[in-house]
Amino acid sequence: MGIAIATVLMAALGLIFGGLLTMAEKKFHVEIDPRIEQVRSYCAGANCGACGYPGCDGFAEAVVKGEAPVDGCKPGGLSCLKGIAEVMGTTASETEPLVARVICQGSRAVAKERYEYNGIPSCRVAAGIAGGPKLCRFACLGLGDCMAKCKFGAIHMEDNLCVIDPNKCTGCGACVEECPRDVIKLLPRSKTVYVQCRNSDVARVARDICMTACIACGRCKKTCQHDAIVVEGGFAHIDAEKCVHCGECAAVCPCNCITIPEVTA
Amino acid sequence: MPDKKTFRGGVHPLHRSHEGKAPTRDKPVREYAADTVTILMGMHLGAPSTPCVKKGDLVKMGQVIGEPVGFLGLPVHASVSGEVVDVGPVQTVGAVPGMAVTIKNDFADEWVDTLEPLGNVEKCDKDKIVPAIKNAGICGMGGASFPTHVKFAVKEGQYCDTIILNGAECETHLTADHRLMLEHSVRIVDGLRAAMRALDVKKGVIAIEDNKPDAIEAMRKAAEGRLGVEVQPLRTKYPQGGEKQLIHAVTGRQVPTKKLPLDVHVIVLNVGTAAAIADAVIDGKPLISRITTVTGHVKQPSNLRIRIGTMIADVVGECGGYSLEPGKICVGGAMTGLPCPSDLIPLTKANNGVVVYSEAEAAATEETPCIRCGRCVEVCPIGLNPYKLKYLCDADDLKGAEENNVMDCVVCGSCSYICPARRFLTPSFKNTKDKITLEAKKRKGQ
Repeated sequence: MGIAIATVLMAALGLIFGGLLTMAEKKFHVEIDPRIEQVRSYCAGANCGACGYPGCDGFAEAVVKGEAPVDGCKPGGLSCLKGIAEVMGTTASETEPLVARVICQGSRAVAKERYEYNGIPSCRVAAGIAGGPKLCRFACLGLGDCMAKCKFGAIHMEDNLCVIDPNKCTGCGACVEECPRDVIKLLPRSKTVYVQCRNSDVARVARDICMTACIACGRCKKTCQHDAIVVEGGFAHIDAEKCVHCGECAAVCPCNCITIPEVTA
Repeated sequence: MPDKKTFRGGVHPLHRSHEGKAPTRDKPVREYAADTVTILMGMHLGAPSTPCVKKGDLVKMGQVIGEPVGFLGLPVHASVSGEVVDVGPVQTVGAVPGMAVTIKNDFADEWVDTLEPLGNVEKCDKDKIVPAIKNAGICGMGGASFPTHVKFAVKEGQYCDTIILNGAECETHLTADHRLMLEHSVRIVDGLRAAMRALDVKKGVIAIEDNKPDAIEAMRKAAEGRLGVEVQPLRTKYPQGGEKQLIHAVTGRQVPTKKLPLDVHVIVLNVGTAAAIADAVIDGKPLISRITTVTGHVKQPSNLRIRIGTMIADVVGECGGYSLEPGKICVGGAMTGLPCPSDLIPLTKANNGVVVYSEAEAAATEETPCIRCGRCVEVCPIGLNPYKLKYLCDADDLKGAEENNVMDCVVCGSCSYICPARRFLTPSFKNTKDKITLEAKKRKGQ
């Protein structure tokens, strides 16, 4: 008898609460824009925060609200941009995807050191101690602050120098913000010829502290047939607009600080 | 005799070898003037001064060579007489090179009157004392180099009832303050009285660790008959000379989080600062020299009265040179000293010592996993949980570290010293503190 009463009571309670919950769901229904979910599905999904919003969900919500630009997700690449633009009903202006490049070749083998650093492995800390372990004040310290920040595993350290894998890099720019020396720059992916040094010291000093420092000799400028190179502020700059990636400047550079154009498939 | 007071936690480094002070503590201070001095414009906390001399100028001792900039600014004075040979950036122990004026000493030691002497500290016009301190370019000489006149800027609603003179010198190896207290005890008391009169403070305490009984005796004798001045012996323990630890030990008051000593009605000055105040008030002499201990692996460890801006290489040369190949040179003692990349670094108003370590002493140690012994918790003078903070800092969890009060860390190094696993605790906390400050600045800027 007792069991029967309990069963009936439980069933009745279940029905009552079930009914209440159903009513509550109908009454307090929250309208969610289905576009948020769609935008979210096109994002890179790494929650890298490069867009400036708290993760991909935050970004998707901001896009739908019209606060964030449709091309805000850099890691997503072209497919993400097209997808989000379609959801939002706008046309995406095709921008060249960016990639992070290291503007330094000062590994331990070529760059002289001021002192031996054996503190905690952090570029920020090392940079604060007597100007950093490397004599060049523009050099990559190679202790891995950027590596720790990279959500895509695109960065590793080789002989105290940061190396970025362009195939894994999504151009989110987290490393650019983290670097205490501003050694990393975001450049258009197709521009593979660039000067890998920004030491503005006079040639004698620059050459003395690093074997691969740009000494502003101007040979690249003379060689360039497209007028794409200017030597300014103690080092050479290549104008990405005018450069045709012939690689002639790289061939004549006496310090090997211009990259040789990559052969892209 | 009052009890030997102290604070909770702390460590006692080098306790078997008299805190490393034995080689220099009995050596009287020697005067030393180098051939050239390189005077940094950014010796104090706050914006660096602007050089107001140029290459080729002839300057006299005490002449203003750097004009103050901003609220925390201080003037910089020439510490020798002679010709300005260079004005430009030089390497410092900091992140970026600092602007400096290099003067070639003509050894004439010609003074120029920059300040008006106020005479007897008990009778002089007390409203002129704080401006004199500022114009003499005095900043904290214990290490942090905070401009002293700013400490005296008592805001509306605040008051000061005690001035503590810090003669603890808890750092290892250093004996500069010890010698100063023995040789210039009356000057120190004069400086304290001037500071007390400037703010109408009734009580002045000179706090000294009990490993310097001769200094306690000398200061007692000097303080006899002086209004409101007393000497307080403290237990020998590091960081007894930390501002907050000293206030707790002497007055029993705790400085709350994110508050300053003035919020508990106390001002703390180093004994060296007090002596500099006396020089400025009584004689009208700006701060151009200080006592520095040069010790470690040098042939004759000494206490030198150096001119501000003397190169480390020069002071080491004056002490007979290195006794072996140096592995590391630090300005300051073993606990808070800053490493120098070379010996071509000029000494500032706050450098109370130069310690030379051998290569074996400076060898790198390897970090090993935490064994959860809890010793870091025991010794932390603030009462933080260093082992837990280290996990948060390693994971770059700024918010978590802030919630666990990493900002209250005074970077004394007690936890790193005691850690049997040799974990890099203190540098991690310093790095995290810097990161949090940077983030806050970024947010403010947006």
